[in-house]
Amino acid sequence: MTLYAVLFYALAAVTLFCTLVAVTRRVLVHAVVWMVGSLLGTALIFLLLGAPLLAGFEVIIYAGAIMVLFLFAIMLMAQEPNEPPEVRSMVRRRLRARMFWPTVWALAGIIACMALISFDPTNTTPLTAGRVSPRALGAWVFGNAWPAVEIVSLLLFAALAGARYLGLPLVRSDHPEKMAGSLDMDQPPCAVNPEDQP
Amino acid sequence: MTATLCLTLFAPLAGALILALGGRALPRAASGLLACLAVGASLAGAILSWAQLKDGQELAVHLFNWFEAGGLRVSATLLYNPLCAAMTTMVAFVSLIIHVHSLYFMRDDDGWVRYFCYLNLFVFFMQSIAMADDLVFLFMGWEGVGFCSFSLIGFWYAEPKNVLAGNKAFLVTRIGDVAFLGALAVLFSATGDLSIQHLSGNAPVMAAGTLTLVGLLLLVAATGKSAQLPLLVWLPDAMAGPSPVSALIHAATMVTAGVYLLIRTFPVLLHADAVALQAVAVVGALTAFVAACSALVQHDIKRVLAWSTISQVGYMFLGVGAGDPSGSFFHLLVHAFFKSLLFMVAGIIIQALDEEHDIFRMGARVRGLVPGAALAFFCGAAALAGLPPFAGYFSKGRILENALNMAQTGQGVWIFVWAAGTLTALLTAVYSFRVFLLAFTGRPAQPPETGTEKTPAAMLHVLWPLALLAVTAGLMDLPAHFAHLVGVPAQWLDHMTGLVPAAPHGAEWTGTVAEGLDAGLAVLGLVVALALYGPWREHRAPAPDRGVARFLLNGWGLDALYMNGVARPYVRAASRVWQNVEDRLVDAAALGLGSLALRAGGRLSKWGIERLSNYLLWLLLGMVAMLVVMAAIGIR
Amino acid sequence: MIVPLEHVLLFAAALFFIGLVTVVSRRNLIMILLGVEVMLNAAGVVFVAAALRWWDIAGQGMVLFIMGVAAAEIAVGLTLVFRVWRRTRSLNPDSLKTLKD
Repeated sequence: MTLYAVLFYALAAVTLFCTLVAVTRRVLVHAVVWMVGSLLGTALIFLLLGAPLLAGFEVIIYAGAIMVLFLFAIMLMAQEPNEPPEVRSMVRRRLRARMFWPTVWALAGIIACMALISFDPTNTTPLTAGRVSPRALGAWVFGNAWPAVEIVSLLLFAALAGARYLGLPLVRSDHPEKMAGSLDMDQPPCAVNPEDQP
Repeated sequence: MTATLCLTLFAPLAGALILALGGRALPRAASGLLACLAVGASLAGAILSWAQLKDGQELAVHLFNWFEAGGLRVSATLLYNPLCAAMTTMVAFVSLIIHVHSLYFMRDDDGWVRYFCYLNLFVFFMQSIAMADDLVFLFMGWEGVGFCSFSLIGFWYAEPKNVLAGNKAFLVTRIGDVAFLGALAVLFSATGDLSIQHLSGNAPVMAAGTLTLVGLLLLVAATGKSAQLPLLVWLPDAMAGPSPVSALIHAATMVTAGVYLLIRTFPVLLHADAVALQAVAVVGALTAFVAACSALVQHDIKRVLAWSTISQVGYMFLGVGAGDPSGSFFHLLVHAFFKSLLFMVAGIIIQALDEEHDIFRMGARVRGLVPGAALAFFCGAAALAGLPPFAGYFSKGRILENALNMAQTGQGVWIFVWAAGTLTALLTAVYSFRVFLLAFTGRPAQPPETGTEKTPAAMLHVLWPLALLAVTAGLMDLPAHFAHLVGVPAQWLDHMTGLVPAAPHGAEWTGTVAEGLDAGLAVLGLVVALALYGPWREHRAPAPDRGVARFLLNGWGLDALYMNGVARPYVRAASRVWQNVEDRLVDAAALGLGSLALRAGGRLSKWGIERLSNYLLWLLLGMVAMLVVMAAIGIR
Repeated sequence: MIVPLEHVLLFAAALFFIGLVTVVSRRNLIMILLGVEVMLNAAGVVFVAAALRWWDIAGQGMVLFIMGVAAAEIAVGLTLVFRVWRRTRSLNPDSLKTLKD
């Protein structure tokens, strides 16, 4: 058992654990933070698998930008659960009940995937260690795949424009009683937690 | 020859088609005249064809192929021989008189065009029966006259009972038609050929069993069409139609179609087992007797004539059964003349009395209303009764003479037949004079209830040729000793048609005894009628609801028998089936499938195709399912 | 030799299905988007592993593009969630039922 293998299994376990915890959180900020942990674990796995630049990007873009964006969204739409304690356990139980069957199916799916890749413990494909230097990756991306770069740039621009447009001030149909022209943030958070709705 | 035959056959069809398509566009007089012209053309064709026919010649004329299926070739072929010539001429002649009479009789009716269209169509179908060689072609005419009679009996369809009468006629004759089809099937399987000509030729060499079966089936078919026992119940009710219709269909043509069929296929009966002919004779004799008894107590004038028709056609069956098709045909012709005359005069009387049918409300006043009607009716009645020297005496006498000949063989069947026939002759005389005396003489037993109506005199005058024939038609087939007296060829009809009686010649005295007996019975009947119903007597209307009179009135309870024995159980069984099978099974299955689909759909929709979360759930499920399938396939 | 390819793929599959279950069973739009992120992440892991297996740099390039697309998608997605929240004041996907009949 090489060091690489040990590291990999440990990191894999940590990542999976963080992800599992993240998706079962009811407080959204907690979920995001746990998610950051999971992404960091993934970044280290990338490093292990010989993709240092991607590891860096994982941290910068995913954990750094996307999760921060999530936090901003949560800040804007904060609806943290504040139900009385006796309801809390019931809500938790309901969540677990809702997750039960999909989990079962997901396990079935995993087994199917294993069958699809002809998973045979005795006969596995070894991965030899390697490393793609950032320079090499950059050269490839801007050399062979520059159309994709352009397209993704356009996509990002379109996303920018779309986000700007969609984030425009209130339209009358949203809140007929409000004047158009201002982001209305004086509303108190909704007393009802969305998770409690059936 | 073919051209004139086609004229005879298709002229009425053309008339019917023109009337059907454009009759309403024509003025009334024009359409009526067109109908009469069509039949007149048919008559001309018939006479011309007859003129071209040589003595004893038989001609098979092929018109066109109709269809071919499974080895059976059906074509419209005509078999023209002197018998056919006489029949077509009679049909056309009587139809023409009836058409012209109808021009006056139906003068106030709204259904003018429809009436004449059906009348023409009827003549076409009857002519095809008269001339057909191919039995399937004949069957087409057979069914056609059935349909036309249904339409014409229920002509005044606004009244439900008329329609019911038409239904009854159609359904009862249908039973006979089934037997006809059975006969066709047997014949086809035995010989593969359905031509009358070939049948007559092959009859001597065919198996007697087959011939007997065919003969009996044809007999049943004929009893349906000719209203004999046991299928006679439709004829008295068929009087719901206009009187000229009754005259045409139920006196001269349709009811005689059955007899005519038997005469045309007589070699079948002749070479079959003796039981076939005996069956024919017994059916005829029994029917004649039963019908005569029923006619004796009727008080609706048309019903008397209806039962009388049944009785007289029974005589024709008797004639055929006794082995004398020519005599039977003689009576057929004579009966056509006097019976249609009687029906039409009755129609005139009924119209003049504003739809009064009850003879006990008529009486001598009728003579004043319609001058000449009494005389015409008397001619017909006397012919019916068989009073010498009217035509009926000779025709009926001929049949009874043959019956006597057969009775002399000593077989019980024939003795019964002869006895029934003779007794019926007496009853016939009594009832025919009864109806004459009650309707035309003396004071009516019951006060008249209806007013009177002026009728055009031409309506009656058209009928005089028939009256003349009723008196003189006996000349067609006089026995030898009478013929010498008058100077007319003896047995002219026999020789012309070439149908020699097959009955054994009895002793010499048979003829004389028969003639004397018949004359005596007719006179006796007249005397009895005069005694009971003479004009000087106080006519008393019988109470028709008790005992024997009621039994006879309703045709010996046959109607009730069929109603309770056949119709009601059938209706009950049908409604039982309708409830249990159709409602509970079929409908329930269909509706159940529908509601099943609805419920399944509703159940499915409850699996929440409404919420976003559910969509995602199904997404997961679908994906996993696909993966599993792929894995399964991959593993294999 | 680091680790067998199959193990990496198994890890990625587990990650992917965790994300999928999140998407399916959580009734909060933001959690759903989080689940989508997890799935994209898992796809990236597969690509890197494949690049190492077949010694092809294109796998890693692909991951780069995936990250870019994920970023764009999250931006627009969160904006849409914001709009939904503004209209219905709820982050429950089941609150979007105006089109239901």
